[in-house]
Amino acid sequence: MNKLLEEAIQREAQLATRRHFLSSLGTGIGSLALGSFLSNCSSKDSVSFESPLAAKSSPKLRKAKSVIFLHMAGAPSQLELFDYKPSLAKFDGKECPQELLAGKKFAFIRGVPNLLGPKANFKQRGQSGHWISDYLPHLASQADRVSFLKGMYTDQFNHAPAQLLMHTGSARLGRPSMGSWVSYGLGTENQNLPGFVVLASGGKNPDAGKSAWGSGFLPSIYQGVQCRSEGEPILFIQNPKGMSTDIRKASIEAINKINQETYEEIGDPETVARIAQYEMAYKMQSSVPEVMDINKEPAYIHEMYGTEPGKESFANNCLLARKLVEKGVRFVQLFDWGWDTHGTGLDGSVDYGLHQKCRQIDQATTALLVDLEQRGLLDETLVVWGGEFGRTPMQENREGKKLAYFGRDHHTEAFTMWLAGGGIKPGISHGETDDLGYSTISGKTSVYDLQATILQCLGFNHEEFTYPFQGRNFRLTDVFGQVIDPILA
Amino acid sequence: MIGGESEQIPDWIIFWGHFHPMLVHLPIGMFIMGCILYVFSKKEETQRQHQIVPILWSTGITGIISCTMGWGLSQTGEYEENTLFLHQWLGISVTISSLALAYMAKHWSKDSLMRRFFKPLFFLSFLLLLVTGHLGGNMTHGSDYLSTYLPQPWRSWIGIAPKEKRTNEVGAKIIKIKNLKEALVYQDLIQPTLEQKCWSCHNAEKQKGKLRMDSPENLLKGGANGPVFLAGNPLESEMIKRVLLEASHEDHMPPKGKISLTEDEIKLLQWWVKEGAHFNKKIAEIPQDNQIKNILSRYTDGNKNSEKYVSPVLLGDIPAASESDIEKLRKHQLVVITLSSEKPFLEINAINAPKIGDKELRDVEGVKNQVVSLKLGNTQLTDAFLDQISNYPRIIQLQLDHTRISDKGIEYLGTMPHLETINLVGTSASDVGMKALSKIKTLRKVYLWQTKVSEKGIKDLQKSLPKLMIDQGWEGKWPIDTLKFPIKKPE
Repeated sequence: MNKLLEEAIQREAQLATRRHFLSSLGTGIGSLALGSFLSNCSSKDSVSFESPLAAKSSPKLRKAKSVIFLHMAGAPSQLELFDYKPSLAKFDGKECPQELLAGKKFAFIRGVPNLLGPKANFKQRGQSGHWISDYLPHLASQADRVSFLKGMYTDQFNHAPAQLLMHTGSARLGRPSMGSWVSYGLGTENQNLPGFVVLASGGKNPDAGKSAWGSGFLPSIYQGVQCRSEGEPILFIQNPKGMSTDIRKASIEAINKINQETYEEIGDPETVARIAQYEMAYKMQSSVPEVMDINKEPAYIHEMYGTEPGKESFANNCLLARKLVEKGVRFVQLFDWGWDTHGTGLDGSVDYGLHQKCRQIDQATTALLVDLEQRGLLDETLVVWGGEFGRTPMQENREGKKLAYFGRDHHTEAFTMWLAGGGIKPGISHGETDDLGYSTISGKTSVYDLQATILQCLGFNHEEFTYPFQGRNFRLTDVFGQVIDPILA
Repeated sequence: MIGGESEQIPDWIIFWGHFHPMLVHLPIGMFIMGCILYVFSKKEETQRQHQIVPILWSTGITGIISCTMGWGLSQTGEYEENTLFLHQWLGISVTISSLALAYMAKHWSKDSLMRRFFKPLFFLSFLLLLVTGHLGGNMTHGSDYLSTYLPQPWRSWIGIAPKEKRTNEVGAKIIKIKNLKEALVYQDLIQPTLEQKCWSCHNAEKQKGKLRMDSPENLLKGGANGPVFLAGNPLESEMIKRVLLEASHEDHMPPKGKISLTEDEIKLLQWWVKEGAHFNKKIAEIPQDNQIKNILSRYTDGNKNSEKYVSPVLLGDIPAASESDIEKLRKHQLVVITLSSEKPFLEINAINAPKIGDKELRDVEGVKNQVVSLKLGNTQLTDAFLDQISNYPRIIQLQLDHTRISDKGIEYLGTMPHLETINLVGTSASDVGMKALSKIKTLRKVYLWQTKVSEKGIKDLQKSLPKLMIDQGWEGKWPIDTLKFPIKKPE
């Protein structure tokens, strides 16, 4: 008997050649990947194998279920909008003290620049007494609804890396963006719309480009879908001439069937992502034009936002953001280009160009808050407003020369952002800068802290929300980040 | 001077001194090893003593090195003098006696008379060693280090008070002021903060930087780096400077690994020093600006604003709904998810099911004990559904906007025990329905935009529920018409 057994084992060993071993290893690893993918994507109450975007519950009780991130690309000047510095006005035109400049590097300032007093008039608003300048008269009426982070800082003084840091937690390419993380973690409620939508205005995409809403190492179904408010909302999604819906449907079904078989054989989660993307694209052919069409909104809504259908504008995007969130989209990312006020031209001056820019967003931003509120959505939608960094208390002197207009250079050490809505205690001001608004003296808040706080509002502990990649678990906040507790409701 | 702990003692002495707590375990371990070998040896007495001679020698030699380093460490002046004195001399005597034991074991073990002294001296040294070690531990970790986490029955036996519950994750107790008018600035505000954040290293037993902070006298005395504060001048005060330093800075207080002061605590400390660092004044006697007033209001009892609100329903524990009941709902295209992975409370959302009506919604009955949130706006539901859910025990949120419900349906809801938010936008709700709502005392927010509710109806509702937030939508115009104010171009 023993002999027989030994013989069997030996024969088995002979059969298992290197090739056999490797091929069995292949399915072995494949099924491992499948296992980890499924366990990542499915809590027992939801998510079938086909839909990586199905709504999931958060690990902890969440206060917000969706996010609208209003990014003023180019970085707005905190010193003209929210961070009121009367002392800076006193020293207007004086040389910047040496000790502030020693060892510091700026994007364009060289030598010793002069200080530049605030070019806007400030007033305290509402019960909270937030200082908001007259550049933003509408937003000022909502002062008690928002909470400010006045002690923000970053470590990147160029647009693209700073934007990447803000949205992906790394100044270098390749990490998933916040919206991707969130749709990976929570899925999305509306199965006919993507979970993460990006809308850009101001005539230009942000410097960081599509990487700012990329999915990095997460399955690509979680990347942001950019929609346009002018022309076709999503490029190349409509059927080409001569292809009927039926043919399109049949071909997608055929492709998906093949993909399905490939997935069963190999088990790459990216295949599932691809299947879901085809399905999503097909559904979006009808759902997206519908949700992106603001013509059907009543007149008072257009009056409220200041929208003009058919144009590419921040106001249109704000209205769209509300519509998308109302329809169950998880993360809506807005970019508005044109806030880079160096003072090299009239449009880039802090006394004129910035004011113009504020006019473009003030009413729409405020309308977004009010509209979300009246629909009962503000309680569960987190609205974040800000840029990628701040601007210097000094007037920019590009290459050491005086510029024709008043402008400010990129500044990493202090800037202001505000949050409102789900999970945020309204009317709080957290963090302070020194008398010149140069650096943060209390309530220092890093970009990671902000990200940790956003995740916290959505019911995640940023330290436990991870994705395994290249042998280790990755987080949005890398190894940093502390939740900003004082502003949480 | 920030940095060096003491000006007279060279750094290298203290450097080696810091090795004492580590190295000292070497002789301790050796000595105990000697004890074990001696006690459990089956050999006759001479041999028993003989075999541990090398161990005792090594104990003595490493003991001498430890003592020297210990002396170096003591030069920092951070330790309580009486304990230090005892620890020092006991340590020296253990070292000497282990050398003596080594000598005895080597040369006297064959002498039947002299070898009798070995055992008692060995035992005595062992006791001394225990006491010395314990004193050392007390100096390093604090005298309550061992007893802090002692479980209850034993606590009362040795006469320590029952442990207080840790109030939050950070481990810090929340300081509350009962009566802001009568409270004393130092005793009720500053000292509790110092107690939580500073005393563990600056107390009677341990004086890092030769500083004690556990009484006004000691605070005034200051430490190795001079006075702790300069009354009236926070920016020249060592204590303020150090708490304001970046957390990563070497001189930041409290040091790495300890819990830092909160923003509020720092502000209050600064304010206290600025206003003269009084030890006997009442809070009310000291001038306060708005910021300080705000902070102080957060310290007073009864200020519920600072507490984070979570509905009491969600604090409870419930059994999960059955998978088949949830599956039934999913078949109707409803999104059913648990609010968090921790507890099986359910939210039901009809975002993908605009055509759903009362018939399909009857299946919600299966999860009536779990559902806390029903988002059923823009669906075909009617008053009959509201009748169905009126006895659901845990509903917190109801979104019924743009449905065909009427006042009759709203009246069914009057008995809901935990309803907090209700959205009635775009329904035919009117003043009659508001009467029903006014009975729901738990209500926090109601959306009444585009309804038939009159001004009076809203007023009455607000009157009976003063804390209720009533959203009536956008006023229809903005307070400012910015178009009237063109932006001036600079010259």
